[in-house]
Amino acid sequence: MLRSKLALLAAGVCLIAGGAHAQASEPTQLGALAPENLAKKRPKAPWNLTGTWIQESAKTAVHPANSFRFGPPYPKFLPEAQKEFDAGAKATAEHRAYKDYIGQCYPAGMPVIMTRVWPIAMVQLPTVIYMVSGFENAFREIYLDGRKHLDPDLVVRSFNGESIGHWEGDALVVDTTAFTKEHHTIDTGIPISDDFHMVERMKLIGGGKVLEIAYTMTDPKMWEGEWTSTKYWKRVDDQDITEVECLPDLDQHLPSTQSSLNVR
Amino acid sequence: MKTSAVIAVAVVAAFAAGPVLAHHSYAMFDAAQNKQLEGVVQEFKWTNPHSYIEVVVADDKGQMHTWGVECGSPAQMVKAGWRSSTLKPGDKVTVTIHPLRSGEYGGSFVQVQTADGKTLKGS
Repeated sequence: MLRSKLALLAAGVCLIAGGAHAQASEPTQLGALAPENLAKKRPKAPWNLTGTWIQESAKTAVHPANSFRFGPPYPKFLPEAQKEFDAGAKATAEHRAYKDYIGQCYPAGMPVIMTRVWPIAMVQLPTVIYMVSGFENAFREIYLDGRKHLDPDLVVRSFNGESIGHWEGDALVVDTTAFTKEHHTIDTGIPISDDFHMVERMKLIGGGKVLEIAYTMTDPKMWEGEWTSTKYWKRVDDQDITEVECLPDLDQHLPSTQSSLNVR
Repeated sequence: MKTSAVIAVAVVAAFAAGPVLAHHSYAMFDAAQNKQLEGVVQEFKWTNPHSYIEVVVADDKGQMHTWGVECGSPAQMVKAGWRSSTLKPGDKVTVTIHPLRSGEYGGSFVQVQTADGKTLKGS
């Protein structure tokens, strides 16, 4: 008798646990390229940036002089970031490369990957924008299909983070989180933490030939308030991206990465 | 092969290359100086993200040294007339570089003069 009651109790526990599991499961997220997802009714995007783009460094009629760096101006750094910023400035004054992880074949990561002097292929679909940089073929995707950021306990942190976009009028607003912080810096050695968060406000201007991205970056462990910077890209219809790898045995032949003037 | 490592405080503009498709810092190169290397090509690698040339050069005492010369990307070099066959091992060349500030045997590419008198810049 006792044995049968225990068996019933165990079965009940299993059922309850199973039900709880079912309730906790997220509905399946269709892939961005799933035909069913692509076919869903959505408002038409105000523009399509499919094409090849490169950051425009020269001053043009459309935009002011454009730097490949995100500062100055810089926000007020907190001690850890200030220490690195100062060390980077000192190294620069001494003509040394400071913690130049890119030169050691680490990915540039966001936002720096967007401002390498290499073209970026961008493909826009109703559900997603894919970006592949000509530099190291760094891959980025911006989901447009209404999904939410992954549970922080599930997301795999990455150099380019997890980007979710939505339309606000003629602007695409892209929210990016879940960055890996190791060997991932901005400008000259400025570190980020796990709390680094980025919002990009993208617009096509200049008759669709110029992509403007206004960056707002926050990291409450590294700086106060918002770090803002606006960059511009131009269409380059006569260029394609190609396979580009950073290889350790190639680096061994490059004076810049091998020089003693690198501060590791 | 005659050694000639002439440091010329450069009229940089005369040799100025366009922005290199660099994948990292160039802080270690002295862009204010041009150094000429007369030597023989040991290797020319046509690759992304940077091509490179290794040139064997004799110093003032006749000692041979291999200099590493960092170039831009092939896409950039093609626009300046380069091909993968432009340089071969054994070619006599005069290469102009922005030297490393450390005095190590290396620099960033400015231009090359080939044995047949052809001059090529980086972009």
